[in-house]
Amino acid sequence: MRHNRTPDPMEPTLHSDRQPDAVPDFASGVVQDDLTAGAGENAIELKATEGLSQGQIVRRRFLRHRGAIVAMCFLAATVVLVTTSIGWGPIPGWWKHDYHTTYPIAIAGGRPTLQISFSEGVHIGEHPFGQDTVGHDMFAMTMRGAQQSLTVMVLIGLLATLIGVIVGATAGFFRGKVDTLLMRFTDMMIAIPVMVIGLVLGRWVNGASALTLGLALAFVEWMAMSRLVRAEFLSLREREFVDAARVAGASNTRIIVKHILPNAVGVIIVNATLLMSAAILLETALSYLGFGIAFPDISLGNLVSEYQSAFSQRPWLFWWPGFFIIVIALCVNFIGDGLRDAFDPRQRRIPSARKMARAARKLAAR
Amino acid sequence: MNGGRERSVMGASGAAPPAGVGADSGVDSGVASGADSAREPILRVRDLNVDFYVEGEWFPAAIDVNYDVRPGEVLAIVGESGSGKTQSSMALIGLLPSNGRVSGSAQLDGKELVGLRSSELHGIRGAQIAVVFQEPMTALNPVYTIGFQIVETIRAHRSESPKQARERALELLRLVDMPDPETRIDYYPHQLSGGQRQRAMIAQALVLDPKLLIADEPTTALDVTVQAEILGLMRDLRRRIDSGIILITHDMGVVADMADRICVMKDGRIVEAGSARQIFYSPQHPYTKLLLAAVPKLYLEPVDDADRSAPAPSLQSEGAPSAVGANAAADGLTDEPSDAPVLVAQGLTLEYPRRGRTPAFRAVEDFDLVIGAGEVVGLVGESGSGKSTVGRAAVGLLGVHSGSLKVAGCELRGARSADLRRAREGVSIVFQDPGSSLNPRLPIGQSIGEPLLLHRVARGKDLDARVADLLEQVKLPASLRNRYPHELSGGQRQRVGIARALALKPRLLIADEPTSALDVSVQATVLDLFSELQREHQFACLFISHDLAVVEMVASRIAVMSKGHLVEVGGASEILRHPREQYTKELIAAVPVPDPDAQKDRREALARTSTA
Amino acid sequence: MLAFIARRIAIGVVVLLGATFIVFMMVAIAANPLAELRASNDPNKEFLIARTTDLLDLDMPPVLRYFKWLGNLAAYLWGHGTFGTSIVDNQAVSAQLVVAVPTTLKLVFGSVILAILLGVTVGIVTALRQYSSFDYMTTFFTFLFYSLPAFWVAVLLKQFGAIRFNDFLADPKIPPWVVALVSVIVGGVAAMIAGGRARTRVGIGGVATAATAAVMIYVSATGFLLRPGLGIVGVTLTGVGVAFALTALNTGLGNRRALLASLSTVAAGAALYIPIQYAFLYASWPVLLGLWATSAGVGIVAGMAWGGDDKRVSGRTAALTGVVMSVFVFADRLMQAWPAYVGHSRVRGRPIGTIGAVTPELEGTFWLGVTDTLTHLILPTTALVLITFASYTRYTRASMLEVMNADYIRTARAKGLNERTVVVRHAFRNALIPLATVIPIDIALVFGGAIITERIFAWRGMGTMFIVALREGDIYGVMGYFVITAALAIAANIVADLIYAGLDPRIRVNA
Repeated sequence: MRHNRTPDPMEPTLHSDRQPDAVPDFASGVVQDDLTAGAGENAIELKATEGLSQGQIVRRRFLRHRGAIVAMCFLAATVVLVTTSIGWGPIPGWWKHDYHTTYPIAIAGGRPTLQISFSEGVHIGEHPFGQDTVGHDMFAMTMRGAQQSLTVMVLIGLLATLIGVIVGATAGFFRGKVDTLLMRFTDMMIAIPVMVIGLVLGRWVNGASALTLGLALAFVEWMAMSRLVRAEFLSLREREFVDAARVAGASNTRIIVKHILPNAVGVIIVNATLLMSAAILLETALSYLGFGIAFPDISLGNLVSEYQSAFSQRPWLFWWPGFFIIVIALCVNFIGDGLRDAFDPRQRRIPSARKMARAARKLAAR
Repeated sequence: MNGGRERSVMGASGAAPPAGVGADSGVDSGVASGADSAREPILRVRDLNVDFYVEGEWFPAAIDVNYDVRPGEVLAIVGESGSGKTQSSMALIGLLPSNGRVSGSAQLDGKELVGLRSSELHGIRGAQIAVVFQEPMTALNPVYTIGFQIVETIRAHRSESPKQARERALELLRLVDMPDPETRIDYYPHQLSGGQRQRAMIAQALVLDPKLLIADEPTTALDVTVQAEILGLMRDLRRRIDSGIILITHDMGVVADMADRICVMKDGRIVEAGSARQIFYSPQHPYTKLLLAAVPKLYLEPVDDADRSAPAPSLQSEGAPSAVGANAAADGLTDEPSDAPVLVAQGLTLEYPRRGRTPAFRAVEDFDLVIGAGEVVGLVGESGSGKSTVGRAAVGLLGVHSGSLKVAGCELRGARSADLRRAREGVSIVFQDPGSSLNPRLPIGQSIGEPLLLHRVARGKDLDARVADLLEQVKLPASLRNRYPHELSGGQRQRVGIARALALKPRLLIADEPTSALDVSVQATVLDLFSELQREHQFACLFISHDLAVVEMVASRIAVMSKGHLVEVGGASEILRHPREQYTKELIAAVPVPDPDAQKDRREALARTSTA
Repeated sequence: MLAFIARRIAIGVVVLLGATFIVFMMVAIAANPLAELRASNDPNKEFLIARTTDLLDLDMPPVLRYFKWLGNLAAYLWGHGTFGTSIVDNQAVSAQLVVAVPTTLKLVFGSVILAILLGVTVGIVTALRQYSSFDYMTTFFTFLFYSLPAFWVAVLLKQFGAIRFNDFLADPKIPPWVVALVSVIVGGVAAMIAGGRARTRVGIGGVATAATAAVMIYVSATGFLLRPGLGIVGVTLTGVGVAFALTALNTGLGNRRALLASLSTVAAGAALYIPIQYAFLYASWPVLLGLWATSAGVGIVAGMAWGGDDKRVSGRTAALTGVVMSVFVFADRLMQAWPAYVGHSRVRGRPIGTIGAVTPELEGTFWLGVTDTLTHLILPTTALVLITFASYTRYTRASMLEVMNADYIRTARAKGLNERTVVVRHAFRNALIPLATVIPIDIALVFGGAIITERIFAWRGMGTMFIVALREGDIYGVMGYFVITAALAIAANIVADLIYAGLDPRIRVNA
C-alpha cells in the first residue's frame, strides 16, 4: 500500500537502493522504510499523509483492509460469546447448562436443537450443538474448549513474542560473540521440530491446566520471532538515525527502546499474530494426541479426538469444535495479513481498472 | 498549458535566437546543427499527457508535452525530481507503472506509439527505441552474464544464430571500449565495475541500431571521472550511429556537455525549450533562470568578482563565506590564535573490524589533517575513497585503529564512553540522507531536542523553547515540532538535521554529503542556510562531498582523498586552480561545468593532455 | 567449496549435539517409564521395573546416560552394536528405524513434490494477477488451509474421501447438479485466471465450463471409473496437448523446431505404445526407470535431429515432453489394472485405503501392488498437500512480486522481450533463488512433522514410532527418531546454502 506516498509512480528509482538479493519474506513485514526516497519538494507527496503520525497511518491502512476488519469483528464476537456464555472466572455466564453435568437427552440421538430457517428465524432450543451419548451439553463443552484454547493461544503469543524479542534484539544489537552464541542456541532449538518439543513438553505437564501448557509451549514457538527481530535489528542499527542518536549521546538501552524497537514494532506485531494462529493449531493438535489438555478438562483438540469415532452417527460432535478452531485461526491469520499490509510500506495497492475509469470520468466531467 | 506548447513549438521550429548568442552556432558540439535541423524528425511528440491514479484520483505527471527529436541530435530533458521527465519518456514505449495512463500523440518515423498493442510494442522496444537506465547494477539481471543479456536482445528481434549474435555482442562491447571484451562478455554484472556495467548497458541498447536512444540519468550513479568517460563515449557514439538521443537528467553540467537542444520541465510541463546555447546563455523562463542560478559552479579560471556573481543572482550571499574562507587561508589559521584546532588527525588509520569471516577492511590509512577553529574544510573524493569514514570516526561512530585523532580537545583513540560523551558535546554531524537520519517514529521536535535532553542541558519548558529556537534558526516554523519526518519534504528534513546538529552549539560540525540527496534548487537554499549559520555561529566544519563545486562554495581549504589516502590539502582556490597531484587534476578535469562553451574548451584541453 | 562444506558440517555436528542433548534431557525429565509400573498391581512388578531400569540405564543420572547413548551411537556408526533397545517391543532402535524411515519417505516424497508444484504455480499466477479476484480468492483459501487443524482434515478425508467415495464407486453415476456445479466453478476460476479483456475472459470461462461438463458426463455415462483407461488415442491426444503446453512455456510457440521435436517425440511414443504394453508384462521399477530414461533420450535425439540454432533447448523441451508422455502411458497401464484391483478378494470393491501403507496379504502382479500403494497414499498425501501448499503459494507470490518490481525486469521489457520471456526467464529465475532455499528445509520439516497424518492413517512411520516411544517413556526410541530428523534438518540447511550458491552467481562459497 504505497499510495500514501504519491510521488512513487513518478520516481521509478525508488527501489534502486534496495538490495536486489534481499530475500523477500512474506512474514517479515517492513524491511526497508521508503522514506529514504527523498522525493524532493513535491506537493502531491505530502497530500495523503498530512498531519498523521506513523501510528495513525498504520491504523488507517489497516481499516482499509476489508478482510482484516471482518475477521476482527468475527473474532471479537467469538471471544464475547466464549467468555460470557458459560461464565469464566469472575464473569457470570448466561447459558443454562455447564460442561461437566450430564443432562437427559432432549431429542432422540442427541441431535442439535439449533435451527436456522428463513420462515421461523433462529431457534436455539435446549442443546443447540447437540449432546453426546451420555448427555453432555455440546455447546457448553465447546465454549469451555474454546476458552482453554484461547487462553493457551494468547499465552503462547505473548510469552513467545517476549522471549523472541529479547533474544533477537540482544543478538541483533550487540552482534559479535553474543549474537553467535544466541543464534547457535536458536539453531539448535529450530533443529527440533515444533511438534516434538511440543509433545515432550506436553508429556511433561501431562494433564496440566491451560496455564501451564501455555507457559511450556511458549518455549517452542519463539525461535522464528527471534530470527526476524534479529534481522530487523541488524538492519535498523545501521540506519543513520541510530548513528544520530548515538552522537546525541543516547545509551544502548535508550537506542534499543526508543529508537529501534518502535521501528521494529511492525514486524513484531505481524509475527505475533501469525505465531498465535500457529499456537492454537499446536495446542489443539497436542490435546488431540493426548499430550495436552486431557479429560476431564476440555480443549477443542481433545473434543475432536474424543468424538471422531462417532462421526458417522453424531457428526455435530465433530463439526463444532473443529469449526471453532478454524474460525479463531482464520480470523487471526486475516488480522495478521491486514497488519502486514498496514505496516509494510512496500505493499502498494494497484487499483482496479474499473476504479481508474471512474476517476477518469470524474476528471473529464470537471 | 498554452505557454508550454508555444515555447516548445518555438523550440521545434527554431525561432530566431537572441542576437549575439546563436551567431557562432556552427561549432556546436561537433554536430553540424545547420544541416541537422533541416532533417525530418524521427520522433514527434505532440500534446503528450501522462497521469497517475492515486488515492481515487488522477494526478497529472506530464501535461501537454511537445518536442521533436532528429537523427544524430541530443535532446536533453532537464528537470528536478517529480517534474515528469522520466515518465513522459517511459510513456513512449509503454513502460509506465500499471496505475499510469498516457494520451496524446508520439510518432516514431510517422508511426503512432500511443495506444499501440503490446505485441507491436515488443517489436519497437529494444529494436527501434532503446533505453539506458540510471543504475546499471540493478538494471542488469544479476543472474545472467552480460553477453547472454546482449545476445538475448538481438535474438528477440532477429533470427540470428547464437554464434552470430555473440559476434555482434562482442563487436558492440568493443565499440563501447569495454576493456578485454572477449573475457568480459562472460562476466556477470556484479563482476564489473560501475562504469563497465554502464558500458555493457549502452552496448545492449545500441546492439540493434535503434532510431532513438533514451538515456535516463545515465551517469547519475557514477563517480565524476567515470561519468566523464561515459559521457565521452556517448558523444563519440552519437557521431557514429546517427540515432536520436533523449537525455534525461537533472545535472546541468551533463547537459552542457552533451545536449544540442534542451527542454526544461517543471511540474509536468515543458516551461522552456530551445537550443543549448539559448537555454544556457539567454534563458527566458524564470524557472530556467532559477535552475541555472542554483547550480553550483566551479570557477577554475581566475575571474573578477563582478563576473562571478553575475550569473548566480540568488546565491550572491555565497560570496561571503568564501571570502571568510579565503581570509582564513591567507592568514594561515592564525585568525584566532587563542583557539586551539578543533580537529587534529595524525597518521590516522581506520578499519572496519572483522565481522564473522569478512576480514577487516582498512578504509583510511595514514591520514593527516588539522582543522582550525571556525574553519570550513572540504573533504573531497570519489565513492570508496574513505571520506565518509573519516567523518564517522570524528564523531566517534568508528573506533580509531592507529594514529591519533583529537576532536574538540579529546583524544578519540581508545576513548571510553565517558570520553566520547565529552567529545560529542563539541562535535556533531549532519548526515547525507535526510530521510534516513531522522527516526520515523519520533516527532521532529524530539529528534532535535534529544542531544539537549541527554546532555542534561535543558528539559521540560526550557527544552521546548530551545527546540523552537533551533527550528527558527533553520528557518522552519516552530509549529513543525510535532510533525513526523515523513510529512516533511527532503529539504525540510535536512534543515531539521542541521538544527539537531547545532543543538549543543558544537565547535566542529561534520557535514557528510548534506546536500547530495537534494534537488539543485533545494540544495542551493540549504547551502545558503548552512553558510549563514556558519557565519553566525563560527563553528568549524568538515564538509564532506563528492561535488567539487559545492565544496568550493563553502570551504576555505580543500582536502582530496583517494582510495583511503590523503592526496593533497590546500587552500580552495589553490587546489582547484593549481592542483599539484595528478589525481586532483583528473578529478577537476572530469567535472562538467554548466556552460556549453567552457565545457567544450575543457573537453578539448583534456583530450590534448590525455593524448599528450 | 570443500572447505565451506566441511565448515558447515562441523557447525552442523555441534548443533546436532546440542539439540540431541536438549531433547534427551527434556525427555528424561518429562517421561518416567517407571511411574506407571510402580503404580500397577502386576505380580511381575519387581521384575518389570528391574528390566526397564536395565534397558534404559535408569540407575544413571541423565547426563551420564546421554553420553552413554552418544557413545553407543558413535559405535553404531562405526559398525558396532546398537544405540539402544526399545522397551516397547524389545527391538533394537536401529531395526525399528529400518522399517520406519522408508515408510515415512514414501509418504512425504510425493506430497512434497505435489505441494511444491501446486503451490509455486498458484503463487506465480496470483503474483501476475495481483489484486484480481483470483488473487483474493486464493488468499482466502490459503489462509483457510493455514488454519485447518491437520487432525480435523484427516478425519474428514477419511469420511468423505474414502468411505463415501468407496460407496459412490459401487455405482459411479455423477448426478447432474454436481456436473453443473463443478463445471461452473472450473469455468469461473479459468475466467478469473485468464485476465485480459472481459470478452476473452468470458470466452475462456465458457470453453472451460463446457469441457469440464463434457468430461464429467462422459465419465459418468461410460462408467469410466469402473473400467478406466486412456488407450492409444487418449495417450496420444494428451501427449500432443502436453507438447504444445511445454513448448509454449519453455520456448514460446514461435519456435517451430522445438514444437516439431516435441510432437515427434509424441509420435514416437504413440508408435511404441503397443510394444511397450508387452514390456510392461515384465515390469519392475528398474524396467520402468529404463523406459523413462529412454523416452527422455528419444526427446533429446528428436531435438538434435530437428537441428537449428537452439538444438539444446528443443532437446530439453522434447525430452520433458517424452517424460510426461511416458507418465501417461504408465498411468494408462495402471488404469488397466484397476478393475482387477477393485475386484480383488482383499479389497472387495472398496479401493481407497484409510489405514496403513498397504493392504495386508495382497497377492498379485506388479501393477496390482503399485495400485495398492497409490490408493493408500492418496488420502494422507492429500492431507499433507492441503496443509503445506499454502505456504509455498504465499512465499512464491511474495518473491515474484518483489522481483517483478525490480529494475532489471523493466530493462527486460525495454529490450522488447515478450511477456513470457520476461516472466519465465527473468522474473521466475530470480524469484527461484529464495524459494529454492526454503524447499529443502521444508522437506526436512515435513519429514519430522508428519506425526499427526501418520497417526490418523495408521502408517507405521517415524511419527508413530516417536509417539509410541514418548508415551511409554522409551527414551532411546525417541532419540532414534530425533537423531534422524535433526540430522536431516541440519543437512537440509547445508543443501539450501549450496543451492543458493548454485543459483546466485553473486554468492561465492569459499569458506
